[in-house]
Amino acid sequence: MQKRKSRIQAFLSHPLSQIILFVLILAVIQLLSAAGLISNSLVFAIGNTLIYAVIAIGFCLLLGYSGLASLGTAGFIGLGAYSAFYVMQEFGMPYIVALLATLVVSIVIGVVVGFISLRIEGIYLAILTLGLAEILRNLLMAMKSTVQIEIEKIRLFGLLMDTRGGYFLILVTFAVLFWLTANLIDSPTGRAMLAMKNSTSAAQAMGISLMKYRLLAFVISTVFAAVGGLLYMMYVRTMTTATSTLLTLTTSLNILGAVIIGGAKSLWGTTFGVFIIYGIQSMFLSRIPFFIENPAFMTMVTGVLIILVVMFFPGGFAQIAVQLRQRLKQIAAKKGKEGGSDGG
Amino acid sequence: MFAAFVNTICGSLLTVCITCLATFAVTLIFKTSTTTNFAQGSIAALGCYVTAELFGTFDLPVWIGVFPGIVVGILVGLFVDVVIFRNGKNVNALGKQIITMGLVSLIFGGIPLIFGNPEAIPFEPFYNTVKMGTTPNFLIPFLGGELVLSKHAVLCAAITAVILAGLFLLLKFSKWGLAVRATAANEFTAELMGINSYAITAASWAIAGALGVLAAVMYAGGGTRIGPSFMTTIQVNAFLAGILGGFSTFHGPIVGAVCIPVAANCVGFLANFPGLSGITRWNMVIVYALMLVVILIKPQGLLGKPVVKKV
Repeated sequence: MQKRKSRIQAFLSHPLSQIILFVLILAVIQLLSAAGLISNSLVFAIGNTLIYAVIAIGFCLLLGYSGLASLGTAGFIGLGAYSAFYVMQEFGMPYIVALLATLVVSIVIGVVVGFISLRIEGIYLAILTLGLAEILRNLLMAMKSTVQIEIEKIRLFGLLMDTRGGYFLILVTFAVLFWLTANLIDSPTGRAMLAMKNSTSAAQAMGISLMKYRLLAFVISTVFAAVGGLLYMMYVRTMTTATSTLLTLTTSLNILGAVIIGGAKSLWGTTFGVFIIYGIQSMFLSRIPFFIENPAFMTMVTGVLIILVVMFFPGGFAQIAVQLRQRLKQIAAKKGKEGGSDGG
Repeated sequence: MFAAFVNTICGSLLTVCITCLATFAVTLIFKTSTTTNFAQGSIAALGCYVTAELFGTFDLPVWIGVFPGIVVGILVGLFVDVVIFRNGKNVNALGKQIITMGLVSLIFGGIPLIFGNPEAIPFEPFYNTVKMGTTPNFLIPFLGGELVLSKHAVLCAAITAVILAGLFLLLKFSKWGLAVRATAANEFTAELMGINSYAITAASWAIAGALGVLAAVMYAGGGTRIGPSFMTTIQVNAFLAGILGGFSTFHGPIVGAVCIPVAANCVGFLANFPGLSGITRWNMVIVYALMLVVILIKPQGLLGKPVVKKV
């Protein structure tokens, strides 16, 4: 019994099995909705939230592990969204080509931002990347103010990516990127990034090349954000850049907020933070009659939640989880002791 | 052609004033609380709504209605610093940023709750309420052409100039100014020297709130339709102006705040030349890109001093 329990624990603590389990549960939810047990809008909201989770995980690597603050996320999302539009809608190419185009564009931009980060640091870098995001947003808006992809144009290996197919594609993308990031964090690269975050001078003294790892961190987070934009266009299929807040500072701040309140150094914490900022509204609050009548309260609830978490739990939800687990362990140990003395 | 160019520059007068006020507010908070206040624009919008409500519902002239708005801005600013920041557990610079962001959500949600449909509120420029005649512009003969100056902009420029001059004089010569500069240099050492840095940061948030609301009312009076996020562009420009001028001084960001709107209008002026008529769409792209280049060449800002880093 004990042995089996520890084996289950070992299985559950492995990141790969965690992510597979998580994705399987979400896949089952989709199947349940196909059977009519769960509303379609809830499933759509889950898919939408996961897109932001993909973006936030890339940002987690940048902020939590490399210590680089960026407010350019929204601009990078726009890059992905617009390359998706041009490749799939205008040129009629399949999804894979759009993915490749997104990768190429985002890697180029990521390298550029990485080089900028070598000259400018801290909050200055954050504001400068905000400027860059504004450049990208204005540039994209000047190119085309409304982008829209017809559903027939979105094909992956000949399969039509409608809302259902798109949902599974998001799940797979999330799982793959989550797993890659989790591995990267535990690799020498991740350790080097962490060293760089804690002290650039000490890291350099240990022979860590700032240029290499800063470029890498920015390229990865830019790629994740652009892939998020691509997924968004695949899933939602339309965006009016002039009125949508997707490409404005709001999104960059929301992603930053999700990573902070989730716990900047925890991938699951980040995913949970995204759920708090994006998911709660679309999945639950928008179903409660009171909030349907007063949508403004939803925004306010999110705002209050963010403020309270940062005020009282600087380590985010990851910290709350750790504290809870310790408390439970203490209680369990106490109980075990009492039980032991009783038996003796 | 030259007269047209001067007119173009004069056209940016109002935006320059608004950006200057917002930038000073951002700089003051950045220097005393070491954080960027993302709620600057939202607090300003909230105060502006109060003014608009007083104007629309109670027929109070804008120049009187602006004071209750400013009071709201001051109160919200004080609330952020005194209630939220002081009671948080070791909130660092990044945490403060996130808190201001949470505040943005709070205000965004709160405005429609308190004031209802934002488009229903009308707004009138200052000049109408202080009896400067009925035409919106001063027309001054200039080099054979005519110089068009908006009365609203001129009035705002005068107010801005008086306020900024007063603030800079206070910074330079008053005890408060000395305390602000000391807190900005190093909060911990300033406290050791007997400066009440709590009062200084609280006062900074109050001043920033007031300046933001004033800027928002000026902006709305200039014909911009108010909404919960109508100050966002100004706020973003204020941040960028701070970087462009260099946050290490107080006057640097103001220089940046003058440069950005003027540069935007100058780029817009290029549209008058044959073959360049499409340039207005790319206006802000060009300005931001130019700025990026300047900052990359001079990372500490136009007037900034290089930061000496110790290991």
